[in-house]
Amino acid sequence: MDSSNDEALDIIITNVVATFRTRCHLNLRTIALEGTNVIYKPEVGKVLMKLRKPMITASIWSSGKIICTGATSEDEAKLGARRLARCLQKLGFKVRFSAFKVVNVLAVCSMPFAVHLIDFTKNNRPIASYEPELHPAATYRIKNLKATIQVFSTGSLTVTGPNVQNVATAVEQVYPLLFECQKPLCK
Amino acid sequence: MSAAGMRCPACGSTNIVDDDLYSQAQLVCVDCGSVVSEGVLANDPVGGSDVSFSRTTAVAKRPCANLIKGQQRVKAICRILMVNREIEDLSHTYYKMAYEHKAFLKVSLQKKDILTGCCVLVSCRQLNWPITVGTISCLLDADSMVVGAIYQEMVKNLSIEAPIINVTDVIGAHCHEYKISSLDVPEELAENSRELTKRAVALVELAADSWIVTGRKPIPIMMAATYLAWQSLKPNKHRLKFSLDKFCQVAKVKKLKSAMTRVAEIKEVLCKLGKEIPWVRETVTPDNVIQLVECILQNRYALLRRAMRTHEDALLEESQASCAEAPPESSSQISECADQTPITSFVKQNGSNSDGKEKPGDVDYNPRVLPEHSGTQESQNPPQNWGKRVLFAPPCVIHAKKRRAEQPEHTDVTGDEEISDSEIDSYIRTPQEARDFALMQQMLSLSDSAKS
Repeated sequence: MDSSNDEALDIIITNVVATFRTRCHLNLRTIALEGTNVIYKPEVGKVLMKLRKPMITASIWSSGKIICTGATSEDEAKLGARRLARCLQKLGFKVRFSAFKVVNVLAVCSMPFAVHLIDFTKNNRPIASYEPELHPAATYRIKNLKATIQVFSTGSLTVTGPNVQNVATAVEQVYPLLFECQKPLCK
Repeated sequence: MSAAGMRCPACGSTNIVDDDLYSQAQLVCVDCGSVVSEGVLANDPVGGSDVSFSRTTAVAKRPCANLIKGQQRVKAICRILMVNREIEDLSHTYYKMAYEHKAFLKVSLQKKDILTGCCVLVSCRQLNWPITVGTISCLLDADSMVVGAIYQEMVKNLSIEAPIINVTDVIGAHCHEYKISSLDVPEELAENSRELTKRAVALVELAADSWIVTGRKPIPIMMAATYLAWQSLKPNKHRLKFSLDKFCQVAKVKKLKSAMTRVAEIKEVLCKLGKEIPWVRETVTPDNVIQLVECILQNRYALLRRAMRTHEDALLEESQASCAEAPPESSSQISECADQTPITSFVKQNGSNSDGKEKPGDVDYNPRVLPEHSGTQESQNPPQNWGKRVLFAPPCVIHAKKRRAEQPEHTDVTGDEEISDSEIDSYIRTPQEARDFALMQQMLSLSDSAKS
């Protein structure tokens, strides 16, 4: 982005959800028996395995599909997924790490100003919607980025999108719209 | 095909008769006996009748029974809310459109019922008749979140735009619900509804200016404002002794839990302003502030400005005094940013800085945002902690949640590092442990079945 009056806007990623496949059938009972940090949920048909080092929780299905949540970056998610696959390999399954994909990224960001939500919604209908009785934030959905931004009147944002790049782009796109509707922090 | 005027292809005679074999129509030549032509076995056309079953059994088309019931429900809701004719007609139109929209064609009856309320809600909003989602969910006896979800779906599918209501618009209707006029309660507790509304509106506006309204549900705020307005209109001992509970009982209104917190928050703001009144000698506490409410509300803008100025001066003194102290703390800012990985993006700040928007003595917060590594007194992220430096701020900022301590190893992760065996082994039980675990599970399940 260009220079002049630049200020750093910290976008902090709080959660990355990724999926991958092991290309083999997994015996959930064996995993529950021989793995530590494992919770078996027979009623749903999955096993929850928690890793310590990247703080990650994985849902493992017997079909070999695994969903990892809790990572704080895409690379960390990949590392955690590989660690998990390695762990399953050691337990005796013929695991092949494949089809790794980051599915969702959740990030928070804080504007240095407060936002007047009613003006913001009026200026951006129908992309933005705000129902104060239902939820305190205005929701702004960017279709082509598949990102959803929730704007709170204190200036905090919550952004979800399919990958980190989209999330950053979404924040950059919405910033000027928020800037026009800023309100002084106190009257 | 009639028999007359045909020639038998075999012998050429014209003597052809209709000689049906069972139910098959046949034209047969009398002279040589050959079959000239034959029809199908039955008179029905091949592949079914030309006329479809539903058409043959159709009766005159009637509008769907549920649609009629729905329209009657819309009418009932409109009558209960006593809206005008225009709104009622618009609601009927919207309901018909929504009912026949493919998104709502196969939904449950309960959803269609809630749809009636949503149509009324949208029409009221568009024609400037403020009602809340809470009122509609009360009338429909449904959860307000469900009503909200269906409302948003409907608005999206029908592509209609409805303005958002302001709390100040709705408060008139809300105050009306309180049975506190002289017909319902003894004289000393009675209050004129118009006066009550006026005072309550002023209180709500004050609350809106001091960050109490934003992000909160509107009804508890209105309840708190009405209660305080009622108390302040005649602040005698009798009324001051009335708690929110008792007030709601007298006014025959259901009390909401969060209204109590709102009352406390509004009283706090009133105290902050009450301190600025020049002729008040004693200290202003939440107990004795009610008598001053009338005065505060009449001069609230002037008092707000004074309060801001006093606060600014106090801050200035503080910062000057502590300027001589410890050297600025620099990169502690990164450590504040928790164990999450920050990505910093440089965003262009458009146009002039908020200098143009700054009113004299009004804006406390300095919009020149400090770059990440600067050393200032506030080592925490400035936007997040502006609550500590400003007189009025929303509670979520004043009592900001503490972030967890950062774990630096996470900043240098790539996805493709080596994974050592020892790491993985920590996640796997040794065979002995596995056997013990299996044994323990068996014992547990045995004891469970023994107990039951």
